Amino acid sequence: MTIADLWDQRISAFLLSPSQFLATSTSEIFLAELLHELRNDKINDQLKILLVSALLEHPTILCPSASVGEETALELLSIFSQTPQKSISLKCNVMLAITNVIICTSCLATHTKMAEDWLDLLFQTIQDTNDYRCGQSQQPLRATACDCLREMETCSPGLLSQKLEALYLLKQQETSVLHQSYCILYTLGLKNAIRILTNQKEVTDFEFKSILGGNEGFAWRTNQNFLPINMIVQVPQLPQGLDCKELKSIMSLLLEESYLLTPISQSSLMRDLVEVVAMVPGLSPTLFKSQLLRLFGTAEVVLMHATLFMKDTFTDSLFTAEDENFLLKRLVGSAQHPLLRIPEKLFYMDCILHFPENRPISSSGEECLPVLVTPRLAASLLPTVFNDSATMLCRLNLLCLVHLEADEGEADKGIAYLFDHIMALLKIVDSDGSREVVVTSFRALFIFLKHFNGMEELSEKLIDKLRDIYSRHCRLAPNLIGLADRIQECLDDPIWSVKLLRGLQKCIMEMPPLQLTIHNLSWHLKVLKRVAKEGQITQRNTIYLLLNVLINSNLCERGKWQIGNAVLAVCRNLLEHPSIDQVFIELADLLQYISVNYNDTDIKDHARFYYTLLTNLSWEKLTGVLAKGPDGGRAKERSHSAIMAESEGIASNLTVCKTERHVLQLIKIQDKVSQSTSESSESLEDTGEARNWLEVYQEQFQTPGFGSEVTLRYNLTHAEETDPLFDRVFSICLHFEFKDSNYAKVSDIHVPCVFRDRKPPEVNVQLKPFQPYPTTLCFSAMFTTQDGRSWHSQLPDVSISFPEIFLPLPIATNASSACREQVFDHIWESAASGNPDKSAISLFCFKPGDESLADLIKTHFQGYLITDQQSERFWKVLFFLPPMCHVLLRITQAEDAVQVSIATDNWELLPFVNSYLRNITDDCSTTVTDG
Amino acid sequence: MSIRALWVVSHEKGESGKVRFSRRFPTVEFRAKSLAGSHYVAVPEDRVIPQLLLTELGLVDADKPYVDIRDDCAHQHRSPAVELLIDGQGGKTLWPVLTVTQGTLILACLPLVEAPPEPRPPLPSLASVSQGLAFLSGLQDFLCGSGGKPEPDVLASRLGALPSVLLQVCPLGRPLDIPPPSGLVPSAVAPSPGGAQKQPAWKAGVHRGRAVVSVALTEKVRSMQYGKSSRQDIWDVYGVVMCKCEVEGVLPNVTVTLTLPPNGSPLQDILVHPCVTSLDASILTACSVDENDGSAFSGPYKFPFSPPLELFRLCSYTSQVPVPPILGSYQLKAEENHLKVNVVLKLHESVKNSFEYCEAHIPFFNQNLMGSVEVKVSSGQLEVSKEKNLLVWVLGQKFPKSREATLEGSVHFSGTVTGPSDPLCTGLTAYVKLYFRVPDLTLSGCCVDQHSVQVYSSAKPRIVTTRELVSSEYYIWNSTGDAPVSSGYTVL
Repeated sequence: MTIADLWDQRISAFLLSPSQFLATSTSEIFLAELLHELRNDKINDQLKILLVSALLEHPTILCPSASVGEETALELLSIFSQTPQKSISLKCNVMLAITNVIICTSCLATHTKMAEDWLDLLFQTIQDTNDYRCGQSQQPLRATACDCLREMETCSPGLLSQKLEALYLLKQQETSVLHQSYCILYTLGLKNAIRILTNQKEVTDFEFKSILGGNEGFAWRTNQNFLPINMIVQVPQLPQGLDCKELKSIMSLLLEESYLLTPISQSSLMRDLVEVVAMVPGLSPTLFKSQLLRLFGTAEVVLMHATLFMKDTFTDSLFTAEDENFLLKRLVGSAQHPLLRIPEKLFYMDCILHFPENRPISSSGEECLPVLVTPRLAASLLPTVFNDSATMLCRLNLLCLVHLEADEGEADKGIAYLFDHIMALLKIVDSDGSREVVVTSFRALFIFLKHFNGMEELSEKLIDKLRDIYSRHCRLAPNLIGLADRIQECLDDPIWSVKLLRGLQKCIMEMPPLQLTIHNLSWHLKVLKRVAKEGQITQRNTIYLLLNVLINSNLCERGKWQIGNAVLAVCRNLLEHPSIDQVFIELADLLQYISVNYNDTDIKDHARFYYTLLTNLSWEKLTGVLAKGPDGGRAKERSHSAIMAESEGIASNLTVCKTERHVLQLIKIQDKVSQSTSESSESLEDTGEARNWLEVYQEQFQTPGFGSEVTLRYNLTHAEETDPLFDRVFSICLHFEFKDSNYAKVSDIHVPCVFRDRKPPEVNVQLKPFQPYPTTLCFSAMFTTQDGRSWHSQLPDVSISFPEIFLPLPIATNASSACREQVFDHIWESAASGNPDKSAISLFCFKPGDESLADLIKTHFQGYLITDQQSERFWKVLFFLPPMCHVLLRITQAEDAVQVSIATDNWELLPFVNSYLRNITDDCSTTVTDG
Repeated sequence: MSIRALWVVSHEKGESGKVRFSRRFPTVEFRAKSLAGSHYVAVPEDRVIPQLLLTELGLVDADKPYVDIRDDCAHQHRSPAVELLIDGQGGKTLWPVLTVTQGTLILACLPLVEAPPEPRPPLPSLASVSQGLAFLSGLQDFLCGSGGKPEPDVLASRLGALPSVLLQVCPLGRPLDIPPPSGLVPSAVAPSPGGAQKQPAWKAGVHRGRAVVSVALTEKVRSMQYGKSSRQDIWDVYGVVMCKCEVEGVLPNVTVTLTLPPNGSPLQDILVHPCVTSLDASILTACSVDENDGSAFSGPYKFPFSPPLELFRLCSYTSQVPVPPILGSYQLKAEENHLKVNVVLKLHESVKNSFEYCEAHIPFFNQNLMGSVEVKVSSGQLEVSKEKNLLVWVLGQKFPKSREATLEGSVHFSGTVTGPSDPLCTGLTAYVKLYFRVPDLTLSGCCVDQHSVQVYSSAKPRIVTTRELVSSEYYIWNSTGDAPVSSGYTVL
């Protein structure tokens, strides 16, 4: 496999699932590899573009912090400047990647130097209008730079507000296809500049004019997002009476040239210009008049949509009643135009329902029919069976609204048509329509009933038809139950659903016994179970049927658990039925029959249990026991209902409750004294003989598990805000998971109890790294509350930093410092000579700041010092990282700087070591040199 | 006005979906996050996208008759935007995901919602939605071409070219243009000459070489004929004018004029290409959803424009014509163990009797396979496709002198093998479908006169104009059976 193939695979894997990909590595390492490879001269542009794509799509995953972002952007910038001019596509991609990194890691928002330099470079790039300097081959770079600036202006509105004159000139000069990019960049800058000015209390003519004449630096502002003006209640406006002559001529020119833009860019431009006119009272909406006819006739959905935006913003100050009427007819026509695509037509129908009328009756944002849409106008949108399902449903919904509001005569005809249409759909369902047709038809039924359930005659007819269809196609049971449920939820009056269910019950009763095959029976039982929930429906027939079927078939002998359970599910709902006393004897007979005759012990037991409940408890108590209390109550009740066979009951009662809140948390115990290796080695005496300490040291690792674990100590406490319900929790089981696979699985930890008012218990988490990288530990807790309920809660992630994995040299505590030093020197030498392969050395320098070096060493390296020759300003430090990595530091203080030589037997640790050292020497100035 | 992410997903029957291409726009995501605040829903990783999309589009678990999240009747699929239910985020949903399905390909994008996070804004209030729709349409044409279903290797190479296309048309999630349609790359193009005139952004260069302007007018006629007094027959036509202008200059001016014969009914629902520079208001007044006004403008229809380099749709229209070109009647009767068939087709006298092809297809659904077929035709030939249960009556290039042709006879269904099924055509509900093409004819009478094409340029171009009439959804229903309603117009 070539390098290119390998990268191809890795990048695809990363893009498909960054979390899975990084589970075997870390983002630091991957980023370092990417940047390293991008500097490799031997690989071609295509591969480099692929590498950049990782940064282009997931900058925040690869650069989790602003500082990493800034460093990465710097790296990329240097790659950018070293890339030859002919690699134009690569340069464009790197340019985009830098912009992405800068924006997404908030380098732009926090106004870093890097962002500023980058903006300067971009602005410089776009100065080369008409490619005078760099030639036409560099045009794509300029286009990309324009777009990068536009994105930066969008994310930090006003950034270009002091550069508008310069941008205007560039826009005027450019005559190649790129003038579009300049044009929309300028317009965006103009719109944002005016928007910012509207925040000012008073605006003078001078201030207003200086916007257009701005030719200064970038304006850094606090980050804020500007919503489009149709999303804000009060459109911000400049004061009246400003001199708008210059702005007006600029606007006219922009509109005149808008024709030269692609439709999508034209629509963006129009929207920006509409916002400008809306914010400047001195500009009249009639500016747009010259464009209206062109826009009215357009086949482009973007331009039609922009026109509607204009209509929404300016209403009758730009659009006459005649225009409004025309536009609406146009929309209706477009919503069924044979040459437009389905998504566009659906969108146009949506636009009709949210049509910006000049004189709207309501402005709720809900679907609402414009007054001008009459049944006559909408007739062409009547649904037919030839429509695809989305179009049909969309039309049906629209036409239901039309006829709901129409005058009587017209409405009757229209509703009759819609009803016939529903019947035609049901006819197709009846002749074995596919699943898609069935689903669509039930959706259509739902829409129709939602609007016309009050028309009794029609809804009765529908029930008859559905009953009729069910008698032939009982596989429709879930669809019918779903329809009954949804209609009941959506209408206040449940009567239609009750009627439907009663009809279905009757239909099942009347079925000839031959049709009651096992397969059909399971559907019928589902329906009967649902019917049994309705207090208004008498259940005697259901019970007779069940008894009849059980007695007159071999079901009991066959003893299928599923069927038995389905029968019991019906019985369970029957037990709760309010008029149970009317069928008490029958139900008791049924349950007894099952408990004696059904050939399955589990079913028998359950039936007997139900029988006992039925015969021993009053209805009130019975329903109390059976009620699925969502909010609990006492633990005892729940345990009763949990025994019920009814599957949903079991599911909801045995399920562990979930809480979205963090109930508990782990707080690190700060002192590190007790950190130790897992096993203490036997006492080694320094006999002073020439024992080879290194051998002794290395021999230890023959013992399995030696030095492989780090123990981190935490307190398990309550998270700050929790419910009093969780003040006392018991039997806590903590379950851990890593976001990556650099560590062995941590086994669950059990804690007896956590009380809010007591000392928090200590939890020792033992980590066993495969790779000693920083990581994040996700964990969850299962516990019981005082009321007996079990809970599951996700707890806040615990991040484990690099220094937390440090251990002192795992050698006997009583070994002399000479022994330690001997081991240190040996490891150092072999690392320096490149043994093992992954060894590396490196150098890190810094100037000690206010804190003296000795203090620094005391705070951070105390437990890891091998030699401390403070007098000679020389220290040796060793970090042991399980399973068997070493990081060795030799610290020397020269005159003006401190040198830290680093040696390690695993070069992959170097980035972490560097950032660790940088971190602890944060106050000092540092330089890093790679080894 | 941006999109957060873009996907191309393929799903072969019986397999789980696969992401063929995806692109995220992190700076847009950055804005989405700050706009939505605590309501922010992150875009899930690509590995879970296909399953989410397919569930929402009802394409998962084809073997299960009913799945709650897929088939719930209150879950309405009547918008161009769907919402994806994200697992494990407390029932949060990703909205609005725009989708376009073509064959086994699903194209989807997630436009940015530039609005306060609650309540959910209506779709038409979001600028990015129409841009997303336009972008997906362009992407569809780019990937699938005009043919509809590209070969796997062609598709793969187009997907491979997509990153560089996106670099040009949508580098940071804000579409500047749509992907260029594949297969329409113009031949002789020179770079823009520079100079004072700004180059249109939709035109990469200028044409060099011989000047040719071709204008092709295609009319499609649809019809539903029932042969019953209780049900009115319907028909309509819609026309498309396609242009290819190879003319020199940065912004050359061309004018195409459509004319109607005297008394011709006005062209309605005219939609024009964005390159048309100006329009007369009267051109747009006629609308098919309106009551027809006899005094309406009926031409000439002038379209001044400056052409792009590639072939483009200059304009389209619909028209109400007084008569259908072919009037048919279909009678199907069930007798003992066979069906008696009688079809009569009459060519209207105003229609030129010169077809490129003309065929009538007579399918039989929900029957066993055909056995013996005893059918005679008065003109043309009959082909029998037993495995498809289909009679194809090839009428050829001409109707007989009488302009009437008949088909008569009986069809027996034997054997036990069932033929093709159709939930609509049960019992005696059956149709004949016509396929024909007549060159050099339009039903509306609309035409583009070669001399009316004006080109303002130094070189005199060669001008080619053509017109044709093609059938589309031309059905004749059995008058002895029930026929489904195909338009609400005639009923109200």
